Amino acid sequence: MRTTIIVLEKDLRIAWRDKAGWLSSLIFSAILIFIYAFAFDLAGTNSEPLLPGILWTTFLFSGIITCNQSFQQESVTGTLDAMIASPISQTSIFFGKFFCNLISLSIIQFMIIVLGTIMFQVNLINIEVILAIFLGTIGFVSLVTLLSAFEYRERFRAVLLPVIELPLLIPLLLAGVQASSSALEISNTSSPWLIFLGIFSLWGFLGSILLFPLVNEK
Amino acid sequence: MNFIKITIFKLNYSVFLPLWNSRWIVLPVMTSIFIMAMIIGSVLAAPREVIEGDVQRLMYIHVPSAIISYFAFGITAVSSAIFLINGKMRWDAIARASAGVGVLLTIFVLSTGAIWGKPIWGIYWTWDARLTSTLVLLLIYCSYLLVRNLGNANDTKAARYASIVGLIGYLDIPLIHFSVDWWRTLHPQRIVFDIRPSLPTEMLIVLAIAFLAIFLLVLWLILLSATTEYLHQQIGKLSGDLEQMEN
Repeated sequence: MRTTIIVLEKDLRIAWRDKAGWLSSLIFSAILIFIYAFAFDLAGTNSEPLLPGILWTTFLFSGIITCNQSFQQESVTGTLDAMIASPISQTSIFFGKFFCNLISLSIIQFMIIVLGTIMFQVNLINIEVILAIFLGTIGFVSLVTLLSAFEYRERFRAVLLPVIELPLLIPLLLAGVQASSSALEISNTSSPWLIFLGIFSLWGFLGSILLFPLVNEK
Repeated sequence: MNFIKITIFKLNYSVFLPLWNSRWIVLPVMTSIFIMAMIIGSVLAAPREVIEGDVQRLMYIHVPSAIISYFAFGITAVSSAIFLINGKMRWDAIARASAGVGVLLTIFVLSTGAIWGKPIWGIYWTWDARLTSTLVLLLIYCSYLLVRNLGNANDTKAARYASIVGLIGYLDIPLIHFSVDWWRTLHPQRIVFDIRPSLPTEMLIVLAIAFLAIFLLVLWLILLSATTEYLHQQIGKLSGDLEQMEN
């Protein structure tokens, strides 16, 4: 537990110092919302049915960018190798990274929700929507943290990680969009999407904890 | 493929040894016989479907290929798990080989499905549950091959990363299936594994032959590909040793 807090503190400090990193993720999410607004002409039409999809794809893309940064810098500077070689358990490293990514992504998601509420005149600050986002984010962050730990040469990293991550995250995207649609009363779905999100997150979380120590050998 | 032989010895399954030793003769011959039987059976012996017509004959390759592709990806997942546990590259060779064969089979399934779908549904592609989950599966294992191909045959890091993708991708299948199933469905309901089969007996017999033919073909291709991969690993190891000796 103590080592997890130490790793988390270190990661949060790195994230705070590397302002360009989290600021670019934040601005990227805002730009994505604007791009969707222009592409689907959301000002002129009834935008409500499109909102859950816009919300979740923005979470996905900005989340991948945010979480992928968590190992990138350490991989370049050699800190990751030092951490792996140290007596800290790999599970502690995972938890530290997981909570750091969860905090970063939650801040971005909060900003997206506020921005969406203002721009599309739909109240997204709804307990059911927030619960769906929270559940989905746990599964998302677990899987993306696990896969971001892969050490690739810089040239491949930017393209390859989304290529690996996005197909695995399709069930999460579907469940998130459907649960949000149902919470916003856009669609009447009888399927228990919130429970599905919970199961996906539990699966992703447990799977990532088990597999993370196998990503990098001591 | 000495390692499989060793494993067989260890398990004391000596009864399989003659079969294993003659695999390069038995498998191609058996596969050819069953594929010929499948072609003849599906074109000549099986009755013409009343509603769908001749295009329905695609079922004899489409359905077995779809089911056996899951078997190939299953081998990848199991071999990946074993590789992650014991770190022996031979398991990576099997995982990589079966993923390649599985991807080929899935592309074939999606193509035959599109050809079958056009006259029946009027469209080549629809976002139906089973089609979509097969497509997602294809994407996952394409990314597996992509990750694995970043390193050479002896690259343990690339093998480890690919194994994690292969394993987690397979465990994702039930979740993909349920999510896409709830999302939408149009596909005909399963008629092969129902307790009371709705297919005529002649069709079921041809389908069983097709299952066996495609299973043997896949087994042969996986063995061939795994052997090649294993030999690549051995060559890589030998050339590494030679370089060390020269230095």
